[in-house]
Amino acid sequence: MFSGNNNLVKNTSHKVVLPFYLFAAFAFLAATILLFLSTGSLNQHYFNPKILAITHIMALGWGTMMILGASHQLVPVLIEGKLFSNILAHFSFVTAAIGIPLLAYGFYVFNMGWPAQWGAILINTAILSYLGNLTLSMIKRKKLNVHATFVLTAALWLFVTTLVGLLLVYNFSVPILPTNSLHYLSLHAHLGIIGWFLLLVIGVGSRLIPMFLISKYSNTKLLWVIYGLINAGLLSFIIFFLYVPQTSFYLISLATILFGIGSFGYYCLHSFKQRIRKKVDEIMKISLLSVIMMLLPVILLFIIIVWLLFNSVNPQLVLVYGFVVFFGWITAIILGMTFKTLPFIVWNKVYHLKAGLGKTPNPKDMFSSKIFGLMSIAYLAGFIMFMVGIYFANNLLLKSASLLLLLAALFYNWNVLKIFFHKS
Amino acid sequence: MNVITNNSINCTLALEALRDVIDPEIGLNVVDLGLIYQMDFDEENSKINTVFTLTTQFCPMGESITEAIKRALENAFPLMEVALELTFDPAWNQEMISEAGINFLNQ
Repeated sequence: MFSGNNNLVKNTSHKVVLPFYLFAAFAFLAATILLFLSTGSLNQHYFNPKILAITHIMALGWGTMMILGASHQLVPVLIEGKLFSNILAHFSFVTAAIGIPLLAYGFYVFNMGWPAQWGAILINTAILSYLGNLTLSMIKRKKLNVHATFVLTAALWLFVTTLVGLLLVYNFSVPILPTNSLHYLSLHAHLGIIGWFLLLVIGVGSRLIPMFLISKYSNTKLLWVIYGLINAGLLSFIIFFLYVPQTSFYLISLATILFGIGSFGYYCLHSFKQRIRKKVDEIMKISLLSVIMMLLPVILLFIIIVWLLFNSVNPQLVLVYGFVVFFGWITAIILGMTFKTLPFIVWNKVYHLKAGLGKTPNPKDMFSSKIFGLMSIAYLAGFIMFMVGIYFANNLLLKSASLLLLLAALFYNWNVLKIFFHKS
Repeated sequence: MNVITNNSINCTLALEALRDVIDPEIGLNVVDLGLIYQMDFDEENSKINTVFTLTTQFCPMGESITEAIKRALENAFPLMEVALELTFDPAWNQEMISEAGINFLNQ
């Protein structure tokens, strides 16, 4: 009746994954501290040193480092094979961990000389080594499923994003691009937001959400359609940006991407409806909330484009949009998924040799659910207040909201460190 | 899913021991989760042959679960050798969760 004696695929070592998580947690804290100290900058144009520094800490230090860590752990699950090299993964971490603070420092003091240039070079090296590691893992496996295709394409877009970023940094000192760096900001940002974050979140989420919900739902065909829509939307945006600079054309790209996001929402809804585990825990609720939150930046982008058709750029709306992407959607995903992945990685490390010899704690008991609840409240209240504060340029609201976000980051770090230092 | 066995008394004892082995991701024990397919007791050679599966072939907790199953059986039957065979044919699916397991998940 049963056949085969399959060997287990070894997990990626926790030594590879954990430094990424720790770096990301500290980056989140650093970004919220800087946000608290820089609320005055939010009344200025979005292209200012402090906002650029905070945005890059959030996008690279928080979002990208966390995703790189988790993706090294999830590669065996997604590609159904082993990670090609732990050494390349360590190399990615070290180069990114040096490069990101250098770049952020360069922006903060607005020194586009060696700190920003070397920061950008190191970040590109890190991403190239991650991309190489991922590609070689997949070549070795010789099997490409839809989730793996999403992740590989996202990594490619990430490399394009950081490469454009490198050119923009150098463009400050040497005119290598036809026009100034500010002009290319929206191209650079959307390569990262749509190409890297959105594709990766959908690729990984479409595998993990049904898995955590223990859902019977599966629809590979729909996932391929979503993959096509998101990539087509992004490619059309790049073409319009470079060759047909008419704002109304961007609506075509936006509509295509919106259709892709809507289809992913449909996929998640069906996974949810066909779940076996009827009771959804708090962590999954935050993760599902982030799927809904994907729509918020799209709606804002729609308003920004329509506004642009009749007026000039509305800087406050652009700031709200950036805030919603990095402090809203991406942060909500990470706040939830950290506690769905990190406890298991540490549990495996601590109880690997003790499993089966007696009772071991449940991974979800390795962090405080009370602190998690407080973090969620502080985060949601801070997020909403800050959004309103930016739009109405209200300093008091911005200060109180950034304090709440800082509190959320402190609670988050508390729980992450509690898991990190868990002993049996 | 019923476990195939050649010794129902020993199998009951073994499954009781395996109820302490939890899949940490789902929070349910491996028996109610339906991961144990077959248990054969070779009295002559003092050996237990267990065929089992994992929820996915590349389960991040796979190594821990496999070792836990081995240790739990060695504890319950100290005089017998434990041999494990991991199979993905048939692959695990949600229908294999026992009724007690579904009730537990919905608590």
